[in-house]
Amino acid sequence: MLSKNDIDLYKQFVKTIFKMRYKGSILGFLWVLLKPFFMFLILFVVFSSVSGQVGNLTSQQYAVYLLSGLVIYTFFQEGITWGLNSIMERAGLIVKINFKREIVVISALTMALINFGINLLIIGIIGTVLGVQFSLLGIAYILLIGLVMFLGMYGIAFFTSIWMVYVRDLAHIMELVLQLMFYASAVFFPIELIPEQYQFIVRYNPIALFIQAVREALINQNIMNVKFVLLSLLLSIILIIIGNKYFKKKILKVAENF
Amino acid sequence: MEKDIAIQVKNVTKEFKVPVKGNKNTLQERFLNPFQKTHYREFTALKNLSFDVKKGEFFSVIGPNGVGKSTLLKIVAGIYVPDEGSVEVNGNLVPFLELGVGFNPELSARENVYLNGTILGLTKKELDEYIDEIFDFAELRDFADMSIKNFSSGMAVRLAFSIAIRVKSDILVLDEVLAVGDAEFQKKCYSYFDSIKGTKSILYVSHALSSVSRYSDRVLWLKEDRTYEIGDPAEILEKYKGSL
Repeated sequence: MLSKNDIDLYKQFVKTIFKMRYKGSILGFLWVLLKPFFMFLILFVVFSSVSGQVGNLTSQQYAVYLLSGLVIYTFFQEGITWGLNSIMERAGLIVKINFKREIVVISALTMALINFGINLLIIGIIGTVLGVQFSLLGIAYILLIGLVMFLGMYGIAFFTSIWMVYVRDLAHIMELVLQLMFYASAVFFPIELIPEQYQFIVRYNPIALFIQAVREALINQNIMNVKFVLLSLLLSIILIIIGNKYFKKKILKVAENF
Repeated sequence: MEKDIAIQVKNVTKEFKVPVKGNKNTLQERFLNPFQKTHYREFTALKNLSFDVKKGEFFSVIGPNGVGKSTLLKIVAGIYVPDEGSVEVNGNLVPFLELGVGFNPELSARENVYLNGTILGLTKKELDEYIDEIFDFAELRDFADMSIKNFSSGMAVRLAFSIAIRVKSDILVLDEVLAVGDAEFQKKCYSYFDSIKGTKSILYVSHALSSVSRYSDRVLWLKEDRTYEIGDPAEILEKYKGSL
């Protein structure tokens, strides 16, 4: 069971990661907001000509369309990458003292979740400025999707964080996979732009389905892919249960294999 | 396990597989030599080792480099698992294989006290309560908000020691970390250990034979041929010195 100290340790780890990311920079915390904002701005300028082709969206709606895709993908990318590296990054600590190693993994994932929350806030602000109407149900649905993704990535990290210790190539492989996922998730272009025989890649890609659901909820106040989201929730919970068992067993030998 | 025993090590064996040529941690190496099995050199760090540390006892481990002293501490601390045998611990054990684990040079001394203290098992509430005493003991009150990277190594280790002695523990596992800092601070460290002698169980690994003989109730001598002797400090130390 979790002790008071475990919870404090979790908070300390998250705080430290957060402080370290922007330590020494002049704008500090502002970068958390500025980075996704500029990324969005670049894509928006480059791809705004496509907006008419994306289900006849107005350019305001296209902005939200683009932003939501970007935010979901970024959450996925950071969650997977940070989860994968979490144990390796704490090697120095793990070989010196015994503590609940899961805390390292969950703090890395929490960092991705915090960023996701901040990014959602940016969508909210930009959307409101652009005059997009948000529905309460839509927002609740998006939060559910965020939770499902968080749980799923936590489950995955139980495996990948251990594998990473033994096969260092995993970092590079994952980078490629994530790049592929970016295009396969139709983040900034409509699915119709992909040749028909390859469209199935997007249609069966879970990240694309999450993005689609979030977009619909934001732009059309429409709740879709409910079955898929609930199935993902169930699968994520199963993944966490199995992953947790796997992790507990394998972590015992990790300290001597760094 | 009997009530008056703090640590019980029973028939512990630990072997490590050391890859002879490089570390096959990348796929490249596996791709390039698919049929070449990775050759490992079996390295026996500990072999069939048994001993008890009694409650309140100061138990030291000595021996030349490479006889498994650090491995033993890591097994007792729960960082490694033994291949055979068992380790039982009766009480709250805190290992100090290094002082200041988790210290982050970029963070301030105060932030590091919270970070390191939490890693060592203290809660935030306890640290709020101790923080002034920690800085007083370390004589670093005026440096609390300075980054650790600007500390001298002596300052950092003084801070680390001052946190360490606040940790609630019945059993301490120490790897060469009895007295740190300059001569004056070392005096403070020694008087701390004088004050807790008999109240905490201590498993201590060191090459500093003078402190071993000063504090130990019993000494374990690990030898290169993986045999060992346990006994009275004066007797074991004399034999050990004779073997060198």
